[in-house]
Amino acid sequence: MSRTVEPLINDEYTGGPPTKRVLARLQEKRKEGRKVAGVYCGYAPTELILAMGISPATLCAFSNATIEAAETVLPANLCPLIKSSYGFIITDTCPFYGLADVVIGETTCDGKKKMFELITDLKPTWIMDLPQVPDQEEAITNWTAMIRKLEGFLETTFGARTTDDGIEDSIRDINRRNAMMREVFEFAALRPAIVGWREMYDLTFLAQGSSGKDMEPVLTEALRKLEERRDGGYSYGPAGAPRVMVTGCPVGGDAEKVFAIIEEAGGVIVALDACSGFKPYMTDTAEGTGDPVRALAERYLKIPCSCMTPNARRLTEMTRLIEKMRPDAVIDVVLQACHSFNIESHKVGEHVEKVHGLPFLKIVTDFSLGDVEQIRTRVEALLESC
Amino acid sequence: MRTAGLDIGSRTVKLVVIEQGETVLTRKGLTSHDPLEAARALMEGVNYDTIVATGYGRHLLKEHLDCPVISEIKAFALGAKAIYPTCRVILDIGGQDTKAISLNEAGEMSKFEMNDKCAAGTGRFLEIMAAALGYTLEEFPKAALSAGRFEKINSMCTVFAESEVISLTAKGAARPEVALGIHRAIVSRSTTLLKRIAPSGEVFFAGGVALNGCVETLIAEDLGRPVFVPPDPQMVGALGAALHALKSGGREDATP
Amino acid sequence: MSDYTQMWSDLGLDLKGHDALLSVLGGAYQDIFLSQKNRPEGMKYFDFVMSEVHGLRIKELMDAKAQGRIVVGSYCVFVPEELILAVDGVSVGLCAGAEFNFEGAEEVVPRNLCPLIKSAFGFKRGLVCPYLEASDIVVGENTCDGKKKSYEVLGPMVKDLYIMDLPQMKSGPGRALLKEEYAKFLTRLEEKSGRKVTAESLKKGIATVNAKRQAVKRLAELRKADPAPISGLDALLVNQVFFYDDPVRFTASVNTLCDELEERVKKGEGVLPKGTPRLVISGCPMAVPNWKVPFIIETSGAVIVGEESCVGERGTRWLTEAQGATLPEMLDAVTERYFNIDCAVFTPNPSRIDHVRDMFGRYGARGVIHYSLQFCQPYLVESGPVETALEGSGIPVLRLETDYSQEDMGQLKTRIEAFVERIHQG
Repeated sequence: MSRTVEPLINDEYTGGPPTKRVLARLQEKRKEGRKVAGVYCGYAPTELILAMGISPATLCAFSNATIEAAETVLPANLCPLIKSSYGFIITDTCPFYGLADVVIGETTCDGKKKMFELITDLKPTWIMDLPQVPDQEEAITNWTAMIRKLEGFLETTFGARTTDDGIEDSIRDINRRNAMMREVFEFAALRPAIVGWREMYDLTFLAQGSSGKDMEPVLTEALRKLEERRDGGYSYGPAGAPRVMVTGCPVGGDAEKVFAIIEEAGGVIVALDACSGFKPYMTDTAEGTGDPVRALAERYLKIPCSCMTPNARRLTEMTRLIEKMRPDAVIDVVLQACHSFNIESHKVGEHVEKVHGLPFLKIVTDFSLGDVEQIRTRVEALLESC
Repeated sequence: MRTAGLDIGSRTVKLVVIEQGETVLTRKGLTSHDPLEAARALMEGVNYDTIVATGYGRHLLKEHLDCPVISEIKAFALGAKAIYPTCRVILDIGGQDTKAISLNEAGEMSKFEMNDKCAAGTGRFLEIMAAALGYTLEEFPKAALSAGRFEKINSMCTVFAESEVISLTAKGAARPEVALGIHRAIVSRSTTLLKRIAPSGEVFFAGGVALNGCVETLIAEDLGRPVFVPPDPQMVGALGAALHALKSGGREDATP
Repeated sequence: MSDYTQMWSDLGLDLKGHDALLSVLGGAYQDIFLSQKNRPEGMKYFDFVMSEVHGLRIKELMDAKAQGRIVVGSYCVFVPEELILAVDGVSVGLCAGAEFNFEGAEEVVPRNLCPLIKSAFGFKRGLVCPYLEASDIVVGENTCDGKKKSYEVLGPMVKDLYIMDLPQMKSGPGRALLKEEYAKFLTRLEEKSGRKVTAESLKKGIATVNAKRQAVKRLAELRKADPAPISGLDALLVNQVFFYDDPVRFTASVNTLCDELEERVKKGEGVLPKGTPRLVISGCPMAVPNWKVPFIIETSGAVIVGEESCVGERGTRWLTEAQGATLPEMLDAVTERYFNIDCAVFTPNPSRIDHVRDMFGRYGARGVIHYSLQFCQPYLVESGPVETALEGSGIPVLRLETDYSQEDMGQLKTRIEAFVERIHQG
């Protein structure tokens, strides 16, 4: 780093895990009397939940510490994210789950879908049947119906109400939030880099359950600082550092080891192509369609998650991102036993290497630290090839 | 009647002979590459009326000596019950298997769990890790207990764990701390099995790994439950087989 | 046995690999099936089918193709055979039960994947499954994550891969989706075969498949007797051949077998002595030649009396019950029939536990073995609640997780023997 600059978000949580900041904000909302809906996934329709006056809270899923407890019930051969989530619940150590009045889940992957069956008795839980073939006409119809059903569930559970106008307003608000987030990503595209993964992750994590209104002051300030950094000739990371795009499974908490290794190996991460990173902010919902829920269904089905098939959109979106962020290498992070990202990695690797001519590395890992040295060796070798 | 029990484990072969409810002879040898020969050597000059085999190599013996066999899970249940009649939870960590067994009120086998198919978290794992750190099997637990803190070992696959140990020592980690980390890894694996089948109660700890004082201490700590190690923990399976031989009077009513 | 070398070569099989496969298969069959004692005479037909499974049966497929009929290959019981028969097609299950060419499979799919999926790729890339090579169309279905994503990889490797979407919840939209998918599949079959489905042809298709199901249900019924008139291995084999054989001939052969078994039951004869511990197997499907666990069970002093599996009752227990005579009405009946299937990919999936409990009672079983293929998350995660629920009602359960390799035979045997001992004492 050429010199120190003011962090994009400068508060008492700066430098610590981003969860603390989100928790504090959520506790405030709770004090104001708002209800909280625990969510696990980017397919939970934030716009609708917010329109009903409910705050979405992303539930804990990223700690190695809760996995041992989970394995007394769940098979060991399961994705660490799912094991950790379940472990947090049975050990009662996720403050977000503690705050949540209800839990919203989706049938994204086998592991999650079946894990949800084990927690439905603990809190009111609503499972949304997520289509798997998003380009089929029935997919939009069915997902629209699922969002409407969720609305019904939230109405009966909380007595909360909204109207199509309310949802439309919320769509505009979230579109605004997403647009500002994309402005941030524009700065991340600069060469040399002026922002690191930690600051981007702080923002993507905070924005996930937040309204546009809540995010606006934070993002305005962040954008101002980014402009200053750019104009002041600031650069992040060592000069000539290879630029890395990280794609694949969500990464946070104990999985951040991969990000840390990339930086320690002299790389700079310029794009977080995952649900924990840029993905939730890349598409907007159509406004003024007269059927806001259908518009939401269309927007959410555009998320290029590997649970979709054939998920060609992941590759086209990736191409767009590669062209914008100009990485020198792409790393695909696959959480152990996540079959869908694992199988898809073959296709992603071919795409990155053949279409973009970029070096590609697939890392299969979990939340433990046991493989840090193996990963380091491979990342160092990758960056040497850049 | 004089009955014998032979437990052919993956690492050691054990023989127990009982008469009038008393153990009159115990013998132990290495399984080696020829378990049958190892068993024969152990039985050399030993007199008994009837014998039952158990352990990993039980079917080999059944073929050659035409004796009944029982699974080592049942053998450990029988042996443990005889040694400690009120015990309801058994943990056996042998050379290549870890077994957790719960008994019902009558002292009969109720549930059991076994480790997955690799040798992770078993006696063989401890042997390899001790060697990787340059300890003998006697020094290993003592060194671990002497450590004030530990290095976390995450991988339970023997191959990966070994490379993890090597990279830790390459980074200059203190050997006793790595040793403690290995012991804790084994313990956490075993207690997960125990918690699945028996959430409470004193644990009867048998098998070769029960000779390792560090594992014993850590299991008690981790579970917050008392752990009892019998005087000769490796002999529990062979004793169980001998007891079964007595009960069945040598009739072929064991598992075919 | 005739020489099929030319036919295999014309299908593009790798003859050397295929020979190796057949010789392993033949050896295993000899050791596992032909060495059993007191086998019913009626099993001779199935022995013959197995001896000609890559020979005469493939010849029949080729003859059918020559007559202008299509061969439709599939990997799952959600693919409705009624519809295939309605266009006069031939429905065949595709090879996925052996650890063959996993190295080749692992070049394109991850190592940590269910052996059934890896096996399908091993066969494809090794060019040793004549059913796959003879198929005019291969039908994939979005059941589990592993299969859904693997079909994307399989697509470019086969002539014509058709993907059928499936719901994951038994909801109104779920049923509507399945119905729509079946309607689309029917259209695709019509295009492919050049034949129109009529009320008459679908009615006939339904009747043929129902008769086949009735026959295996009759077989299941006979297994209630103690002593069991047929081994679990042989019954499993019948359920496996269900997916390969000509349906009409299969039905007749199963019924002939059942006639014999009825006589056995009357005389109180069985394959193993009366009082042998009886077990129900529940969980993942066992495709040919995945006989490992049943073989260990039946050489450890127990007998299997029922399979709660797709290759077993989960796949056959429902008949298609058409209420009306029009095509849409019959298609509705087909949808309803398949919508019942309680595969663990559905959430929640409560009827499966009820069915296992019901089978336990019906067949006079004394324990349940829950069988999961490694990395099969739906069944692995469901195994916990299944065990808790069954043990809670006093039913002993043993959970096993394994793959197609032989290396865990010893461990599995220890567990199964201990489980049988547990049942004996209880």
